[in-house]
Amino acid sequence: MRYILIAVMFLLSLILPGTLFHFWSWSGIKPDLLMLLTIYIAMHHRLPSGIIWGLGAGLVEDLYLGRYIGMYTLTLAVVAALSFWLAERWYRENFLITTFIVLIVTAVGQVLVAFLSLGAGLQWSLTDISRLVIGVSLYNAILVPLTYPWIHQSFIRGWLKYWPRYER
Amino acid sequence: MGKRNVTGIAVLVFFLLLGVLITMRFTGLGSSFYNPVGGVLQRVLSPIEQPILQMGNTIRDNSRSFWNFTEVSRQNEELQKKVDQLTGDNLKLKTEILAGMRYNELDQGQFRSPTLEKYEKVGASVVNRNPTTWYRTLTLNRGSQDGVSVNDPVIGNLGLVGKIVSVTPTTSEVLLILDGEGQVSALVRGSTGNGTFGIVQGNYKRGSRLTSEGNLQMLFRREDNINVGDLVLTSGLGGVYPKDVPIGQVKEIQLDPSGLLKTAYIQPLIDFDSLEEAYIVKTVGGK
Repeated sequence: MRYILIAVMFLLSLILPGTLFHFWSWSGIKPDLLMLLTIYIAMHHRLPSGIIWGLGAGLVEDLYLGRYIGMYTLTLAVVAALSFWLAERWYRENFLITTFIVLIVTAVGQVLVAFLSLGAGLQWSLTDISRLVIGVSLYNAILVPLTYPWIHQSFIRGWLKYWPRYER
Repeated sequence: MGKRNVTGIAVLVFFLLLGVLITMRFTGLGSSFYNPVGGVLQRVLSPIEQPILQMGNTIRDNSRSFWNFTEVSRQNEELQKKVDQLTGDNLKLKTEILAGMRYNELDQGQFRSPTLEKYEKVGASVVNRNPTTWYRTLTLNRGSQDGVSVNDPVIGNLGLVGKIVSVTPTTSEVLLILDGEGQVSALVRGSTGNGTFGIVQGNYKRGSRLTSEGNLQMLFRREDNINVGDLVLTSGLGGVYPKDVPIGQVKEIQLDPSGLLKTAYIQPLIDFDSLEEAYIVKTVGGK
């Protein structure tokens, strides 16, 4: 059930930014839902499984977009590792801190996307990059109070609860 | 032991980054590579995406007047005045000109380009917008099964939309002319009929790439005879876009600080935000 739910959330994260959030975009800026979901998953898993989820999510997004294969795979793996590292040090039950974690991690993720894109030969101006990074990070952070309480509850005692192998 | 670990991790990270950059190079915009998983994902998700987008369009169209009531009533007043004026003009013109024209051609509402006529076209609906903020692309519900190929131009009922950059069996992705990655060889046709060649590009460097209007620009020499209101058409050079497809109208001209160049800002004829249908012109795989 847990895997089906996560798969459905992955697919929704791919569909919604291009459809529903097209109408709720802010000067063309949409949230990066798959990055948000990866952050949530990494905050509730151990480091290796968090990174594997990040790699999987990134690869699915790369294949779905059909170009620059590896860009989101690497980015979401780094995002997962960073989310785990921050969630271990800061109190993840506090929604304000989680909002801040999402803001920081999304910004790092988007900067990585920009860096990799520049490395692949795309030409983006610094103004554009900073506008997109700040915009997407803020949008993702705004979504935290609306989404995190539900997902956190589900990860702690609901259908998304993660049972490490030795506790089964 | 610890030092060896750090070196090992550094080497791993270096090769990982190198590998990703190489893969990205070979799978960039416009490249065609075998991607069965992406094809399956597009095929499975596009039937879900289309109703959501259609529902959103319907809600937006029906609720627009509520959100912008002041703006709508002001526009209504302006339009009412214009309608009165145009009705008078129209009646006069109708008697003089329309008698000699075939009504069915006018009713089609689509521009007619002689170069476009010889190609096969396929109508398509927009099923998705780009899920990331980094590109200006659309997904259409026609793919390689319908004969669509990479680099086929896409046109709306008023003018140029963009070109196909990737194709799956049932969908295809269009890179809009607004995106800085897509450039169009164009011709500005002034009131005297003389043409001036140039390149139209999305002006993302100006920071207005994220707005939906007025984000196309062309560079000219100072002495080029370009005026506000001139029509911008595709030139047919470059091999991707057919000749004489309308792109937009010159909205504003600014002189470069150096005084050697001037930039023309172009208002696209297509409203990209509310675009729901388009034609794919099969220039690559078609006739």
